[in-house]
Amino acid sequence: MIEPVALQDFFITFFSSALIILAGASYALLFAWSKVNPNFRIKIAAYVSYAVLILSVVELTQAAHFQGYWLIISLAMVIGYFFAPIGIWHLCVKTHAKSTP
Amino acid sequence: MNTSGLNGVIQQAAALSDKSRLYLNNFKAWVQLDSSHLSDGRQLAVKYFTVAVILFFAQILFGLLAAMQFIFPGFLYEILDFSVNRMIHINAMVVWMLYGFIGCVYWFIEEESGTEIVGLKLGNIAFWVLTGAVTLVVLVYLLVQIGPGKDSSLWFINEGREYIEAPRWADIGIVVVMLIFFYNVVATFSKGKWSGIAGVLTLDLVALAGLYTAGMFYMTNISHDQYWWWWVIHLWVEATWEVLVGVIMAWSLMKLLAVRRKIVETWLYIEVALMFGSGILGLGHHYFWIGTPEYWLTVGGFFSALEPIPLVAMVVHAVYDSGAHAFKNGNHPALAWIIAQAFGNFFGAGVWGFMHTLPQINIFTHGTQWSASHGHLAFFGAYATINIAFFYLAIQQWRGNVWMGGGSQNAWRWKWALGLLNGGVLGMTIALLIAGYEQSFIERAVEGSTWGGYFTAQNHPSFQSAMVWRLLFGGMTLAGFILLVWDLLTIGKGETRKAPEIVEI
Repeated sequence: MIEPVALQDFFITFFSSALIILAGASYALLFAWSKVNPNFRIKIAAYVSYAVLILSVVELTQAAHFQGYWLIISLAMVIGYFFAPIGIWHLCVKTHAKSTP
Repeated sequence: MNTSGLNGVIQQAAALSDKSRLYLNNFKAWVQLDSSHLSDGRQLAVKYFTVAVILFFAQILFGLLAAMQFIFPGFLYEILDFSVNRMIHINAMVVWMLYGFIGCVYWFIEEESGTEIVGLKLGNIAFWVLTGAVTLVVLVYLLVQIGPGKDSSLWFINEGREYIEAPRWADIGIVVVMLIFFYNVVATFSKGKWSGIAGVLTLDLVALAGLYTAGMFYMTNISHDQYWWWWVIHLWVEATWEVLVGVIMAWSLMKLLAVRRKIVETWLYIEVALMFGSGILGLGHHYFWIGTPEYWLTVGGFFSALEPIPLVAMVVHAVYDSGAHAFKNGNHPALAWIIAQAFGNFFGAGVWGFMHTLPQINIFTHGTQWSASHGHLAFFGAYATINIAFFYLAIQQWRGNVWMGGGSQNAWRWKWALGLLNGGVLGMTIALLIAGYEQSFIERAVEGSTWGGYFTAQNHPSFQSAMVWRLLFGGMTLAGFILLVWDLLTIGKGETRKAPEIVEI
């Protein structure tokens, strides 16, 4: 059973949902960039993005009243967004193997 | 009958025909496009592109009329009602995208298969049949706007299902034309050579054509009816169209940036797995409030959360490629529109989609201007952009593979067209977002989806000013479209330099 978002949580629900995708993409972008250009600051920025993603997921979980098996979505986003860019990077390396310098 | 009167009419018709021919010849002389640069298959493709551009114009025109009716409700009342404008606005969009996609496939199929199109004559007949049918359907929409809903109206006027209102005779015609298209694709690859791109394309076309039939039968229960209707709408847009665009993009990347075939095909398979893995059951987010069992709330919510994954994959891959290789190519407008596709798809489908897709919030936003906001950015970002990129690829070849890279004459035109079209659509998206937020808040949450709530929300100052802004940005989109057409007709004219050979990476 779902519990609809409360009136006062409308904005935070939209905002945290958008931020999950933006922070997830930002983490992916910075993670990949740190691989292309090994720079400690870029790597830190990537993890800051990921921290924003976790905060957004926590915020959305509370605002959208995720309970019981709905928490699987929160968990999947936290784990999935962390490992997906790593996996995709490895795929890039493998598929481009011939042309990688 | 009065013979002299008849002669007069014939003479007038002949004069009109001569005048039209003269204008057409003058136009051809002005654009200086030489079809001898194109194979017969590609000449068929540009026919599809031409109609796609005309329908793109129809989409914008009827969208603007509908947008004006939000501000001036009496505008064209009982002459061209909002319901008709909105219907043609959306139908034109669906059909111009399809024309674009079919054109793209006809464009690359000969090169990809290494042979001529097998059923070219049939393909040309199908093109004229489809174009004639589309014209007739739109004319009937305009001429028979209201009337009783009978079996005959379903067959000959309007089927009544949102987004796929074409009457039953046209439905059957569309299926026949799609089968001819499918035959041409399969027969051509069978005669020539198959490839990974060919295999994915063929399987996707089976799904594309098959799913359309799910929108062609009626059930007495409205929930059952909607259940199947969404198969066409969602599974086309968020599964088969995405894969079709993946195929077109894969081929474009080989031609534009000379990416190795092995790479694009591997990534095409990965994309298909991700798209179908999340997109098929993402269908659940449309089943939330139409009387389907409650488990769809969980299924829709979970798989909708997965749908942005292919977009994140795209971000990582783009960074990998830009880090490992320098982007050098001889068609800057096409590349710019492909980059616009990456951003538009990410924001329109990913960010705008996820913001209101979970059932806990979707209970308030479903079917409000939120959906329109998401729809505008996602359709333009994911599909219009790739078609426009392909128009530029086609026009380059039509002019004899001329240089369209840095230092081209009048490059400001494509840059401004790109800016105005993207800025216009983004502006409309933001305006509709504000309207949708207000609507879901006041109409749905505060007033509980009552009629009173509906009118309170529609008359709220923030909703009304958002509609004014939407119209203004719609005008900006129209300006971008006019510039785009002007640029497509003139770009590369008089250019003597040839496009460079791209070295495979």
